[in-house]
Amino acid sequence: MHHFTATKMSSSMKMADQIDANPRLLLMLQHFNIDFRVSDLTVSQLCKQYDISEALFVDIANLYNGFGTKKDQAYTKKDLLQVIDFLKNSHHYYRSDMYPQINSYILMLQKNHPEREIKLLEKFFNEYFTEVLEHLDYEDNVAFPYFIKLLKDSREDSAREQFSSIEYSEHHTDIELKLHDLKNLLLKYVNIESDLDLRRKLFFALYELEYDLFVHSLIEETILIPSGVNIEKKENA
Amino acid sequence: MLNSPLHIVILESSKIIFEGLYSILYQSDIHCRVYRVENIDELSDMLKTENINIIIANPMHFVNRDKEIKKIKKEFPSLSIVGIDFGIMQKAVTETNAAFTLYDTPEHIIHLISRMDSRNKSLSKNNDDNDNLTKREIEVLTCIVNGKLNKEIAEELNISIHTVVRHRKNITTKTGIRSQSGLTIYAISKKIVEIEDIEI
Ligand SMILES: [Fe+2]
Ligand SMILES: [Fe+2]
Repeated sequence: MHHFTATKMSSSMKMADQIDANPRLLLMLQHFNIDFRVSDLTVSQLCKQYDISEALFVDIANLYNGFGTKKDQAYTKKDLLQVIDFLKNSHHYYRSDMYPQINSYILMLQKNHPEREIKLLEKFFNEYFTEVLEHLDYEDNVAFPYFIKLLKDSREDSAREQFSSIEYSEHHTDIELKLHDLKNLLLKYVNIESDLDLRRKLFFALYELEYDLFVHSLIEETILIPSGVNIEKKENA
Repeated sequence: MLNSPLHIVILESSKIIFEGLYSILYQSDIHCRVYRVENIDELSDMLKTENINIIIANPMHFVNRDKEIKKIKKEFPSLSIVGIDFGIMQKAVTETNAAFTLYDTPEHIIHLISRMDSRNKSLSKNNDDNDNLTKREIEVLTCIVNGKLNKEIAEELNISIHTVVRHRKNITTKTGIRSQSGLTIYAISKKIVEIEDIEI
């Protein structure tokens, strides 16, 4: 049986041991485009092999390990571009893996239980899924391109004027809130007869998604946005 | 409480089926009193005079009587309805809390009915304290479920918008549910509103 024994990661630790202590780090590796076969490499060696800064990798890993971000991070532009790639990969995982998977469980549940209550649950999820897709599309099509321009281009780019990190942060919403509702409804209130296998799979998927979304929002709000604000300040000074 | 018998009424025109269920119930551990009615009208009368807990019904009798059934459910919200599933009617599933077939074992049928019993108890307990929602919070919740805006809720309940907001916050804290559609499902699960009243 697995016990959650994650401790704060440092770059001299072996990556395989770290995954053993917190398997959620596998998702992080995937979002970084790092293969799961990490051999006997230390975190530091792994970062070198994939050309990712150790500081960034360790900071994000520690978010997954349940620790907060440091206040005074100094990420390079290259780091931040990698963060955006990471976030985009996460979006892909939500859009084409997690949400469809959860959707299929709910559809199966509805097939097995024709009660109108379950039908409502499906409707609830579909509405939520639509909202999430809007959020992801907005970030992929508006927010991230802005940050990429900010990180790559010189200050004369006028196309950037219509948007800012602050504007993004003001519109940034928690997309995991309704997921929380769904989990609570299933856990506390909605009465479904048996079907434990299916419901367990649904729960595990919900928990997996919820955790990753939680860290994802933290990365956007405590790494991407403050860094963007800093760059804007410097350029306008 | 332990000694108060469960009042069960069987709505079934076949004497053979009634007698069979009757003897299964009396041979079981369930402490009960069993009544018999042959149609919805007799059932309505019975509900007025006797304190019935469970109806075991041949869903054939529900056909074209939706209005009456809805009324009964509204008037006696703690009633459980167990359907006899003849495998031919969808009503057995939609109108009832549980169903069994005539080929199920007596053990299975008894198990099903005793579960309805405990369900009743926890339900009526829950009606007193839906996750400790106050009467006012339940009223606000009902308005939310009906899609009313804060302003409309304030007008309807004769309270300030500020108070409505406070009630909403408390509802969310107590239930753990934030969204309107989530609260709708909550209210249905808790039988605060009738699922029939909700448009899908
Ligand atoms: Fe995102
Ligand atoms: Fe986001």
